[in-house]
Amino acid sequence: MFWERFRIPLMLAPTLFVIIALFMGGLIYGLLQSLGWQPIIDNYDINLDAYANVMFSERYANEFWQGLALTLWVSLASTFFTSAIAIIGALLLRESFFGKKVASFLFQLNLPIPPIVIGIGMLFLFSQSGLISRIGGSLDLIERSRDFPILVKDHLGIGIIMAYVWKEVPFIGVIVLAVLQSLGADFEDVARSLGANRWQRFRHVILPLVMPGVMSGSIIVFAFTFGSFEVPALLGVSFPRVLPVMAVRFFRNPDLNSRVEGTAVAMIVALIALLLVLAYMWVSRRAVRQE
Amino acid sequence: MWRKITLFGLALIVALGAFVQVQSFQDTLQGSIPAIEGNSIGTWDEVLELARGGEVNWWMWGGSDSINQFVNTFYGGPLAEEFGVSFNQVQLADTVDAINQVLSESEAGVNSGGAVDLIWINGENFKTLKQADLLYGPWAEGIPNSRFVDWSNPALNRDFGLPVEGFESPWSGAQFQFVYDTARTAEEDLPRSFADLEAFAAANPGTFTYIAPGPGAFQGTRFVKQVLFEISGGQEQWVGDFNQELWDQWSPELWARLNALEANLFREGSTYPADVNELNQLFSNGEIDFTLTQAIAGASPGIASGDLPETAKAFVWSNNMIGDFNYVAIPFNAANKASALVLSNLILRPDRQALQVIPENGFGLGFAINTNLVDPADRAVLELAVNDLGSGAADPDELGASLVSDIVAEYQTLIEQGWEQNVLQN
Repeated sequence: MFWERFRIPLMLAPTLFVIIALFMGGLIYGLLQSLGWQPIIDNYDINLDAYANVMFSERYANEFWQGLALTLWVSLASTFFTSAIAIIGALLLRESFFGKKVASFLFQLNLPIPPIVIGIGMLFLFSQSGLISRIGGSLDLIERSRDFPILVKDHLGIGIIMAYVWKEVPFIGVIVLAVLQSLGADFEDVARSLGANRWQRFRHVILPLVMPGVMSGSIIVFAFTFGSFEVPALLGVSFPRVLPVMAVRFFRNPDLNSRVEGTAVAMIVALIALLLVLAYMWVSRRAVRQE
Repeated sequence: MWRKITLFGLALIVALGAFVQVQSFQDTLQGSIPAIEGNSIGTWDEVLELARGGEVNWWMWGGSDSINQFVNTFYGGPLAEEFGVSFNQVQLADTVDAINQVLSESEAGVNSGGAVDLIWINGENFKTLKQADLLYGPWAEGIPNSRFVDWSNPALNRDFGLPVEGFESPWSGAQFQFVYDTARTAEEDLPRSFADLEAFAAANPGTFTYIAPGPGAFQGTRFVKQVLFEISGGQEQWVGDFNQELWDQWSPELWARLNALEANLFREGSTYPADVNELNQLFSNGEIDFTLTQAIAGASPGIASGDLPETAKAFVWSNNMIGDFNYVAIPFNAANKASALVLSNLILRPDRQALQVIPENGFGLGFAINTNLVDPADRAVLELAVNDLGSGAADPDELGASLVSDIVAEYQTLIEQGWEQNVLQN
């Protein structure tokens, strides 16, 4: 009886221990450090100075709030475009056409590619002296590299968004494809027999069915892009910077005192991401239920 | 042909020099060295004995293939052959990674047997470890070859204004220089001052930029310091202790001039390169006209490694070009302190110092030792080396004439913060 009841918790214990000890341990240590606890330089005071400093001081406030706005914009825009392109791509790949296998393979190809590789690829392709600019130059479409539009290291984060969309479309696309394949054609056939046109079939039949999958996929994409460092570090401008880049810059400052600010920014990123994910789950559950 | 002969002759002299060195010097301690794992150190031979058969893990910035090759060839070889120490270079993306390793070990209570034996280090990172009391020492004025180091030189016994006090030993000297492409820019058009540069940028908008000053981007900070020296009428008044009044007097004009320059910068100053690699790329792609270097051989090491075009050459303003030294330091918990001491001592040996300035060897930074303190027999090797710095080197006389020392660290922070707030975010 005892064994029966506790079998599953006991089997889960090793995994949970690793998650709690490593992840939570790091998080708690980070939280302590963000509150000013730094034994290495004999600092044992606990206070919220670092949080106040990064958010409201004359020195960092501007950088912080503009950074937050950019981070939100980049992650929301990436999530939206990723989802939209993934749904369209999956719908197209469902049709039968010549070269479907190749197209499906290419569609999923960059799923395992690390974001940093994609970031460097973007740099090679789209910078002002990149491959596309050079091709444009050799075709006399542009006169100098400076005439090529600024697509990476730009103020709107276009390069960062393109890199994320490129990286994450297959992720949501695979989810949507799996849902579509498990559905088969029955629902659409029924809708067609009832006189629904192409758009109506998409809007009222397909979309509600794939939406739960898209929603859970896009939460992951959002949380990932919100906290990600390497792509914005490569493709961002010197100012404003996304919050994870700001945090790492604090952390890498040789002055040990600025680590407190660095962990404070990291904690703020984690907190905002958590709140937004919770809100997003709540809204999307309601939306899916209403359909 | 003559070049080949010169190089051959040089190699011969260096080899002979090394031989003579090994044979003739009874290396003796120049001062006291703290105990190593309970073994008090009375003679240099005791250090050699402790080191023999062991290894040394040198943590250093590894972003340059030519420098990596240099250290493995010219330090790794002799360490194994002459001292029985196996050499292991640990390549880092940024020196601060070594600092973080030592900090983490200290936090985790690893007080001996640490992974880092020696760090290639400069001002800010040295300050971090010294601030946290995580360095072994003082030892730098005790090792035998420290007798060649001019410890009375204020540019050497202070690292970014912080007294060295024997906790790090110099490796090489460096000086800020610009680099241009002789195929694109004529020598007479080169800006020889900041005022010249402003005019150059106005005539060629979009073709100049500099590295964003900030932690880890000291070249950018140094550029701004040089501008500050010029507009305030010279570097001399900035030497010595921090002077808030002087800073308040000149900083507004500094920001105003840099902001005015922004309109003519690469991409109107909407973004700045983060490091020298990015600057070199923009330069090699023809997007900007000037990059910079710290190497005493100017653009030559960059040409040798393929990072810069064959036609690249260093140049300097006629004044205010900051020069300084870089160092090696040993963490408090290093597992192989004796081996690290042996390596630090080898670095200062005149034959190794001669090898490090020759551009073809891939390092290209200047001497840490003062040639006047070296015995006449060894001095020839050093003099021969400086006479062959390659086509990318700036005129040595101009280098010497423009050289000024760096100023105390307080200005560094003020410049980095002030630049972010007043120039970058403006």
